[in-house]
Parts: sequence; structure tokens; C-alpha cells
Amino acid sequence: MGRGLTMTGVANDQASLEAVLKDEIIRMYQEVADKPESTFHFFHGREAAELFGYAPEWLDRAPTGAVASFAGVGNPHERSNLQPGEAVLDLGSGAGLDAMIAAWRVGPTGRVVGVDLNPAMCVKAQAHVAATGTRMECRQGPMEDIPLPNASVDVVISNGVINLSFRKRRVVEELFRVLRPGGRISITDIVSAKQLSQSIVNDPKLWAS
Amino acid sequence: MFRLLEETGFTRVRSAVVPRFRFRKESTQDAAEAYGVKAVMMTGLKPLT
Repeated sequence: MGRGLTMTGVANDQASLEAVLKDEIIRMYQEVADKPESTFHFFHGREAAELFGYAPEWLDRAPTGAVASFAGVGNPHERSNLQPGEAVLDLGSGAGLDAMIAAWRVGPTGRVVGVDLNPAMCVKAQAHVAATGTRMECRQGPMEDIPLPNASVDVVISNGVINLSFRKRRVVEELFRVLRPGGRISITDIVSAKQLSQSIVNDPKLWAS
Repeated sequence: MFRLLEETGFTRVRSAVVPRFRFRKESTQDAAEAYGVKAVMMTGLKPLT
């Protein structure tokens, strides 16, 4: 019984920390979107996109706000091999740059769905994509419970998002669930070769970054 | 992450380091290097059956 109580306590602690982390993630990436001229400890905006090899013509074609708010850690388009007509999920779509590039590549017969924790970012992403004459649908929701049916997309792209979750196994299982058989992932993310110290794990500001 | 993808059922999982990724702040980059933190690109397939 004592062990059960302890395990419940650990689960409660994790749930509490996860809730704080969720708020911190929303706050940090909202700040990138609202104040892209600010300096962050990571590269962002056009500088970062160019660093990761995004085609200049993509960045010229995209609305300034979408490019300025880019906060990815690589270029998931490099190996996504998107084809016209494909259905794509952009997990953690942010201000919409990756979703819009995907929408251009899959064309009018394709479909792009973004998922983001922050409903305000969903609104922003859809507006950015619409401004380029194409469209995406953005659904608000957590990556641990992706608001899409089973086997509903051909490709999942994601850029610097999965590392933010405490429950990465659950996120990966969700990617597998929403993909059609034969579907593929192309994701860029941050990984660590060593177990992070508890002081980092327990600090929402460090974890969210 | 690579192991998680394989354990979940993805096949042909490949990963490569994003060569130009680094943190803007030198102190953050130093801490990241100490923990072996890096950006990677990963691809994988969901089997047909």
C-alpha cells in the first residue's frame, strides 16, 4: 500500500510538472511569434531557416511573420520526399512555415493538417498559409493525443517539437497510429546522449527550451 | 528516439546529425555539448502490414 501511495505521488508530481511545462512551452513559443525581433538562446527566423538549408525561394514566398517566427532545429523537408496529392501532418505547426512548404509541395490535390498545443498559433498558421493562396487545417491539441483518426495521413513532419514532451514513447505511438500503412515520418528534433540531470528535468524553462 | 521509433514498429529508421545546428548562446551550447545534445533528422516507415 505504501508503494502504491508513493507511485501515485510520483504520478501526481509528474502530472503537475507536465502542466507547468505545457504553460511554459506555450509562453515561450508565443513570445517567438509575437516578438520575433527578440533574441533567444536558439537561432530562429530567417537566419535559422537559411542555416538549415531552406530554399531561399520558399522563404521569399512565405509571409514575413511565418519566416520570422520559425523556431525549428533542422529541415524536415530535406528527406520528406512529399508528392502531389499526399496527406501530411505537421506536428507542432507553430506559425506555419513548415506546413505551408508542405502545402506547396503536395499541391491542391493534397492536404496538410497542423497540430499545435496553442490555439492562437493555429489561427496564426492558418492565416499565414492562406496568405500564400493555399490552405492548411490546424487542430489544437497535445502531441500525446493527436486529434486525428487512425491511418489518416501519408507523412508526418515535425521540427523540434517531440523533445518537449515528457512522454515521448506515447508521442511516437501516436505518430504510428495516425500514419497509413506504408506511410513515413521525416522529423528533426533534439536528442541527448546522456540522461539530463534532475535539475534540468524539473525546470520548465530549461525543458521548454 | 531512434530506439523508440524502432520499438514502436517503424522500419528503415535512419538518423543523421543536423550539421549546422547550434545554440545561439555560448553557455547553452557548452552545456548542450556536455550532455551530448544535438539536433538530428530521423526518417522511418510504417510497414504495410
